[in-house]
Amino acid sequence: MTTLNGSSPATAPTASKRSRRGSLAKSRRRQAWAAWFFLSPTLLFFGIFLVLPLLFAIGLSLSVWGGFDLTRIEFTGLDNFGAILSEGSSFVAPILTNTLLFAFGAVALALVASVAIAHAITRLRFEGFWRTLYFLPIVTTVVAVGNIWKYLYEPGGGLINGLLNAVGISSVQFLSDPDTALPSVVVVQAWASIGSAILILTAGLKAIPHTYYEAGELDGTTAWSAFWHITLPLLRPTLLFVMITQFIGALQSFALIIVMTSGGPANATNVAGFEMYQQAFRFGSWGVASAMALVLFAVIFVITLLQLWFFRRKGEETS
Amino acid sequence: MKPRRFPWFSYLLVAVGALIMVVPFLDMVFTSFKGPGEFGRLPYRFLPEDFDFANYGAAFSQLDMPRLFANSILMTGVAVFSTLLTASLAGYALAKLRFRGRAVLFRFVLATMMFPPFLFLIPNFLILANWPGAGGNDLFGAGGYGGLLTTYAALFMPFLVSGFGVFLMRQFVVAIPDEILEAARIDGAGELRIWWSIVVPQTKAALITLGLLTFVNVWNEYIWTLLVSTVNPDLMTLPVGIQLLQSYLDPNLTQPIVMAGLVISTLPVLLVFLLLQKYYIRGMMLSGLK
Repeated sequence: MTTLNGSSPATAPTASKRSRRGSLAKSRRRQAWAAWFFLSPTLLFFGIFLVLPLLFAIGLSLSVWGGFDLTRIEFTGLDNFGAILSEGSSFVAPILTNTLLFAFGAVALALVASVAIAHAITRLRFEGFWRTLYFLPIVTTVVAVGNIWKYLYEPGGGLINGLLNAVGISSVQFLSDPDTALPSVVVVQAWASIGSAILILTAGLKAIPHTYYEAGELDGTTAWSAFWHITLPLLRPTLLFVMITQFIGALQSFALIIVMTSGGPANATNVAGFEMYQQAFRFGSWGVASAMALVLFAVIFVITLLQLWFFRRKGEETS
Repeated sequence: MKPRRFPWFSYLLVAVGALIMVVPFLDMVFTSFKGPGEFGRLPYRFLPEDFDFANYGAAFSQLDMPRLFANSILMTGVAVFSTLLTASLAGYALAKLRFRGRAVLFRFVLATMMFPPFLFLIPNFLILANWPGAGGNDLFGAGGYGGLLTTYAALFMPFLVSGFGVFLMRQFVVAIPDEILEAARIDGAGELRIWWSIVVPQTKAALITLGLLTFVNVWNEYIWTLLVSTVNPDLMTLPVGIQLLQSYLDPNLTQPIVMAGLVISTLPVLLVFLLLQKYYIRGMMLSGLK
């Protein structure tokens, strides 16, 4: 989280001594030309697929448009935002609340599990082997992850209910019961994202100097209290980073929802990203969908700032 | 910290966790061998009665697998190539070439990473649909149907450049000593030549890392490809195709076939990942440097 602006200090002092001023200026000019030439594909791309879309999204969110003909776009000001944020709009509740619950649940679960497991792995042999196992879902398509778990949850033949039945508990309709559907998807999101959290936390754990633990041992600290009083506090910057990136990922994630539940039953697992997708590509309400995207972006932004503020307030220097 | 006592609690924790990570994958593999009617029969059985490859045949006959693979390979190949090329060139420019506006452009590249991809789903879809001069569109992007959206270009267009990639390459190129580059300049080498014969070889490891990250991300891409293939089914990629295998009427019957399809589509990535794990993990760690 450091090293950002540590760019190279003044280049080419050796060359300037050797060459005359004229050729130096020529070399500078050539470098500038080359730089713009090398950067042009990247800048062109960002112009077309980043700047233009952002303006387009803002424009659409302020208008009503049925698709196809861009000349028939109708400017309606903040009406779309008013509609989706009004009382009784299903976007605020349950969709946005679902989004927050989904992200909060998945991040909390993944964070607790990954701290415990990353810490435990550093004490074992074959560290790399264990980490690879936790990493498998990261390189697997969300279609596979979603389908595998959909069938693990299956009431009439899935593994989880099979295990429950074996110990005498009757089958649970995990994904079709509105009360269990969201928590069930949360577990999958956490399961799928734990690997990258473990990886980054491991880097943080390895950066803690041994001397702290040795000093602790001299004082007769147990492993448990060393974890609470040495490891966790020193891991805080890494934890903050993992928490923020996982939150950003979970708040916008809806591929898992498409694959597993399609937002059902009865909006129980509908999240903001999925609703935006539906509004645009199923119902053709491009304006409303764009407004939803911007609201979700604002939510992500605010939640990120809140986390930074909370950690800073606790006296932690991050980044 | 390696304590003298055997860390049985850590072993237990990690092993139970690992079981939770691996069993779903094993369930996928074992279910893909289960015969008709075997899935859904109670009581639940983890292992199949015998290893029957019929489901793999069914997955191949129900889907146009060669086309799905070809589309996935085309999309991923172009995206990886383009990402590496643009990131390496731009990274070199931002790290080593002196020109006005360098600092601002570097900040711009960092800023591009702040915007989550879902923001661009709708506008990019519309931009490709109204691409001037494509698919019967006039120069203002109107008139035709679908624009670039119905062509193969739609698959990879949004994945040609990566802001993170530019950032990553820039961080690696910075580490190349200036003296080497200056010496080449004095010998009369042009910047393109310096890039190709010094910068690229010196940053090979970083390029492999970035290529691998891009490969995994694009190969597994689902939402964009789902959209594109609803416009033109010929553009369907593996993840989208596999999802089609399930029958909503009788999931118990088609489930083993879906699992066979999932094994087919996840296997290439898993193999590449296991072979080049070292590079991938370094890339993930570096993404933590942001």
